[in-house]
Amino acid sequence: MIFFENTLVTVISLSTPLVIAVIGETISEKSGVINLSAEGTIMICALFGFVFGYITDIAIVGFLFAFFLGAGIAIFISYCDIKLRMDQIAVGFVLTVFLSHLSNYIGQDYVRLNGPMITKIQIPLLSKIPFLGNVLFNHSFITYISILLIPTAWFFLNKTTLGLSIRSAGENPLAANSRGIDVKKMRFIGTVIGGSLLGLAGATFSLYTKYGWSEGHTTNYGWIILAIAIFGGWNPYRAAAGAYSFGLLQVLAIKAQSVTLALSQILPLLPFPIMIFVLIFIQYINTKDARYVPRVIVSLIVGNQPEALGKKLPEEIK
Amino acid sequence: MFDFDNLKINLIRLILTLLIIFFTLIFFGISPFEVFESIIYGSLSSESKFIRTLMVWAPISLASLALIYTFSAGMWNIGIEGQIIMGAVGATFIARSFLGEYLISPYIQILFAMLFGGFWGLLSALLKVKGNVHEIFSGLGLDFVASGIIIFLIIGPWKRDGIASTGGTDLFHKSSWVPTIGSYNFPLMLILIILFLYLISYVVLNFTSLGIKLKATGINVLATERFYFKSDKYIIFSYLIAGSIAGIAGFSQASGAYHKLVPSISGGFGFLSILIVLISSKNIYFSFILSFMFSILIVGGSQLQIRLGLDNSIIGIIQATFVLSWLILQRIKIENKILQKISGMFYK
Repeated sequence: MIFFENTLVTVISLSTPLVIAVIGETISEKSGVINLSAEGTIMICALFGFVFGYITDIAIVGFLFAFFLGAGIAIFISYCDIKLRMDQIAVGFVLTVFLSHLSNYIGQDYVRLNGPMITKIQIPLLSKIPFLGNVLFNHSFITYISILLIPTAWFFLNKTTLGLSIRSAGENPLAANSRGIDVKKMRFIGTVIGGSLLGLAGATFSLYTKYGWSEGHTTNYGWIILAIAIFGGWNPYRAAAGAYSFGLLQVLAIKAQSVTLALSQILPLLPFPIMIFVLIFIQYINTKDARYVPRVIVSLIVGNQPEALGKKLPEEIK
Repeated sequence: MFDFDNLKINLIRLILTLLIIFFTLIFFGISPFEVFESIIYGSLSSESKFIRTLMVWAPISLASLALIYTFSAGMWNIGIEGQIIMGAVGATFIARSFLGEYLISPYIQILFAMLFGGFWGLLSALLKVKGNVHEIFSGLGLDFVASGIIIFLIIGPWKRDGIASTGGTDLFHKSSWVPTIGSYNFPLMLILIILFLYLISYVVLNFTSLGIKLKATGINVLATERFYFKSDKYIIFSYLIAGSIAGIAGFSQASGAYHKLVPSISGGFGFLSILIVLISSKNIYFSFILSFMFSILIVGGSQLQIRLGLDNSIIGIIQATFVLSWLILQRIKIENKILQKISGMFYK
């Protein structure tokens, strides 16, 4: 039982940045923008989060800076997308290349340094509950934020006017526009919220789960997050579940290292084939043959891909 | 035929992008002239350096050519990395088989590399056409699946005698290497293949119905139905061709550059080619020249560490800045205004 409990604690804290980033990417995609710069944004924010934490010796400063840097990058993407009407995928892709090289260049002087650590905060009373107390209420503040973010994001997207407007802009920009929703603004807000969460996730890597900075510190995590966002079917709860499953996978990979090298190398790549299968399954469900598939499985796997995902704004919206 | 106005606009854009790079380097406290000099010195100053540049140029130019096909069909073939990797796997498969000791090996390697790469491209295409999966996600997924396969092969069935490490397989038998001539190992066969493919592609894309239908698919899928041809078929075609050409790039990496299979066999050249094709779009000359420029940057960039003590990630920054500012300038259309100003000065 203790082993199980410890594994759960590790999974939840190790998945913190993944949860934050996946929810960010989900909100961004809900507004119709694939933030393909995720890989680069996380990397550069991990670097600057760590650097500012290191200089000021206050971890919070690092987190805040990364948060705003992520927002800044998202504003740039939004500008290219909305004002210049460039291909969002092209911009995101080039930014990923640019930012990852940039972070490797700037980060040379900060390799393997020790900066501020963040401590665990035991929540009084609640942390005394056997099992649950240790699993849920004995973490650092950023893990609490990540856990709270899940229902908040769901509430935001499903129950608030702003959230619903963002979703409608991502589904059918023209229809939303004719209903009086400012589609450009919604797309902007969605992208910026998403980007700032990606930035926060970057700092969470370098100041918490993967402490410090080294060359290519968060390599591939951005791509993995894009995959998990699809696995999550554009629903914050499922996205978080995907992130935690990947966290579990990582823990297993670490444990497998002592058994076989091959398994520990290949386990972290699993999200990608799973992503492809989910996408195929989503498509299959929409065909007629799918009536034989039990509804439970359908509702577990299928998500609502935003109609306008990855597309340019229609030219009618000036 | 030759679009002179377009050339003028492109030239002005080139000058502007170079200026932006110039100031970016100054911003980082680096002397642009020193960097430029080191890069040229490191890539072109001797025969052996030039050959090294050619060996980098080979996969990049092939991958860029491959991407022109998919871009023409309006597809974002981000799965190019995976196609290069699978091409290398196909080549290694032959190099490690009984055929590896015969001189015919490289030619059969090419066939298998095309087969493997083409198959990987086909998967992306089928996911797009039959499964309606956005090609970004399927491509990305297949890239990582391919890198999983290559890691598995290197530490599993194809591991070096005794040790399983991620350092790569055993070296290929000499007759499986890309055939070269002269004391500097000039890869004549590879260069001929590239020139041949570029020539053929130029004709196919511009003067055949296949090329025109590919472009039509890229411009407007709905309209293609009005003209009674299936755009799906052309999407599959484009991926099949792209995958096969990318496969040859993988062959060039495995049998030409490394002479073995390593986990990072693609060298990131697939993603780099995406940057190139973002600029050149469907222009075949342009990607030919640009891929050479980018390989000069890569090979010359490895000298920066030795000569100037600079990390070679600066090369990636230069490349990405180049592409990003090019794309933005293309949208702002500032060149026309400059052009008008210049011609205004002459015709007053």
